[in-house]
Amino acid sequence: MNDLPKQKETNLSFEKIKKDILHPMQNHKGLELWIVFLITVISVCGWAYYIQLKDGLGVTGMRDYVSWGLYIANFVFFVAVSLVGMLISSILGLLRIDWITPISRIAEIIAVAFVAVAGLVIVLDMGRPDRVLNVMIHGRFQSPILWDVTVITTYLTVSALLLILPMIPDLAICKKELTKASPIMKKLYNILSLGYINTPAQHKHLHKMIRTLMVLIVPIGLAIHTVTSWLFAATLRNGWDTTIFGPYFVAGAFVAGSAALIIAMYFFRVNYKLQDYITDLQFDKMGKLLVAVCLVYLYFNLNEFLVPGYKMKTGDDIHLKELFYGNWAIMFWASQLLGNIIPIILLVNKKFRKPLPIMIISLFVLAGAWFKRYVIVIPTMLHPHLPIQNVPENFVHYYPSAIEISVTVLSFALVLLIITVLSKIFPVVPIVETAESKGIEVKIEA
Amino acid sequence: MKNTMKNIAALFLIFVFSGSVVNAQGWTVPASAKKKQNPYEATSKNISSGKKIYNIQCKSCHGDPTMANMLPLAPVAPTDLGAQNFLIQSDGEIFYKVNKGQGAMPAFEKTISDEDKWMVIAFLRSFDKNKKVKQQVAEVKNPEVTDVKLELNVNEADKTMLAKLSGVTKKGKRVGLQGIEMSFLVKRSFGYLDVSGEDPYTNESGDVQIQFPKDLPGDREGQVNMLVKVTDDAFYGNLEEKRVVTLGVPTDPVNPLDERAMWGTRANAPIWIIVTFVGGVLAIWSVIFLVLFQMIKLPKLAKSKD
Ligand code: HEC
Repeated sequence: MNDLPKQKETNLSFEKIKKDILHPMQNHKGLELWIVFLITVISVCGWAYYIQLKDGLGVTGMRDYVSWGLYIANFVFFVAVSLVGMLISSILGLLRIDWITPISRIAEIIAVAFVAVAGLVIVLDMGRPDRVLNVMIHGRFQSPILWDVTVITTYLTVSALLLILPMIPDLAICKKELTKASPIMKKLYNILSLGYINTPAQHKHLHKMIRTLMVLIVPIGLAIHTVTSWLFAATLRNGWDTTIFGPYFVAGAFVAGSAALIIAMYFFRVNYKLQDYITDLQFDKMGKLLVAVCLVYLYFNLNEFLVPGYKMKTGDDIHLKELFYGNWAIMFWASQLLGNIIPIILLVNKKFRKPLPIMIISLFVLAGAWFKRYVIVIPTMLHPHLPIQNVPENFVHYYPSAIEISVTVLSFALVLLIITVLSKIFPVVPIVETAESKGIEVKIEA
Repeated sequence: MKNTMKNIAALFLIFVFSGSVVNAQGWTVPASAKKKQNPYEATSKNISSGKKIYNIQCKSCHGDPTMANMLPLAPVAPTDLGAQNFLIQSDGEIFYKVNKGQGAMPAFEKTISDEDKWMVIAFLRSFDKNKKVKQQVAEVKNPEVTDVKLELNVNEADKTMLAKLSGVTKKGKRVGLQGIEMSFLVKRSFGYLDVSGEDPYTNESGDVQIQFPKDLPGDREGQVNMLVKVTDDAFYGNLEEKRVVTLGVPTDPVNPLDERAMWGTRANAPIWIIVTFVGGVLAIWSVIFLVLFQMIKLPKLAKSKD
């Protein structure tokens, strides 16, 4: 990493780093308002969920043909975004790429929030959520559903550990410095910091554990999105019956996750005034990373659509024509162009990798990623294998109902709430690691 | 000259307009479709299978041909498909209409096979008075009878089956009923298999004999469930006889759920998939627990000075 542009010399001291990072956690007025807003959204939409619970899934737009609708599309999207944790803090971390230091915790927070709610979305999609344990009790080893449940719980666990373990030194600092924190929080800092005072032995031991988890999460991360793709690819349906679905989903996940991370970086930088830590360099690098993963994703899209489009075999042809110039064309091409191709073209230009432009581009990429999942799930459901006729009109179309949309909004609000709360109680930029990477001496008192 | 042109244009418009109004209610059958001929001959076998299909698929709406007892649907009631003014249409025209449907008339293009539809048309044609080569299904007049009985005789050695249909006349004499179609049905996993053969009509003494297929699988003992009935309930009501007969080929049933397979129950999952899943979960989670366990050591290490 010698070709890095030299970072601007900042005369940071350990005290200043501590103050800069810890200060906004306790003294940010907008934050409380934002939390109240999110809780209001969640309660209002929770009422929609209550109706669904009371009256059953009939209140959604899902019928016999489209039994996987908005919820599952959203689930796939959440799983995708959560993969950024593995990409940034694990893969790049293991490669010892140093510019990720200040943003790795944000990546991990995003991962935990999204994967936790992804699991919840599945429960929200159940007509009888009280029977959710049956998936475990009666699950068949042959069913991708069981694998998916297993791998999501595992990913959530390891992601949470990868959030907490590298944070232990910082938590020890929080314990000392955040004197105004509530007693519960103090207790939490006390327990989670595990008596860490940065002795060489502790340092070595901690980093060994972290390294182990970093290696471990690579196969789990690959598995979580590959298995999610198998939920589709293990069927014979047109549009899902493809061998590249696993890597295709993983590539798409890197795109969605990177975009989400850039957006989050921008908001933390602005709201927490972290310009000295999340610098233009990080945005520039993330921009390049986003181009790279977008290119990989583009390559997969080429394979996924060009090859079957060349052959147009029976069954596939109906599906593909619907996507290329039928009812789904606008959504399909918008997600490809606005969510992938145009961002690539823009982001190769250095000017667009400045914080604000890249954040706006990332919003498009993220929205494109969401619609892409929608286009993957629903059109295929609309083409059942057996010709069935004289079915009710609402079987052959799918429009999410207001209830469904509200519950989906709820899941988004919940993700944002989790991210907000985590960033309120934990330092979003690693204090100790930042100091160490700048060669500043770290002191943690017992 | 100008006026003539105008008049012609006006006439043309009126013509087109009125034509479209008429068409909106009637059927439009392309000329090419009208030309189609029924590729199946009007044999008694075909007519009889057409009748069976008709009774299942069409009767509920159209009623019995020539009886005009159709369902009174609005706005357009189903046609009496045995009526002469319907049967003036060509085979192809009827075939097209059955395929495409209109209003309450369902489209049968994909739900009934072409062969079956032609059979139905052959059946409907048997009511056509103008048909040149009319299939003469011998008109038989049975005396009025009560207490109709269906008896069944099974010969297991040569795998034949004899059904006898009889009734008691007003004079108190039991006589055979002639010319009645019988159905010999064997129960299979999904529905019944018709083994009635070419000519399952009772003879003058009320008998009909059929040859049971030599290669039909039965259960372990070769037993199958037979259902023998008078095909058309219209004559003597629902008259049927059920019996377990040992005419099938003894077969050990294979239940596909008994073997280890992808589609099996959890207990019958393929070994490799159980090993992969359980092995993977154990491997990953033991590392996780190892790390969790290591966390406990961290506070103690605060005291050691190295
Ligand atoms: C659900 C009730 C229903 C069933 C079942 C049904 N039909 Fe019809 N059918 C109708 C109705 C109603 C019409 C009149 C439609 C119209 O003219 O708009 C009709 C019309 C027709 C016509 C056109 C009649 C004409 O005047 O030219 C044909 C032929 C026909 N049916 C054949 C069949 C056959 C053969 C079957 C069974 C395979 C069948 N239908 C089953 C309701 C039904």
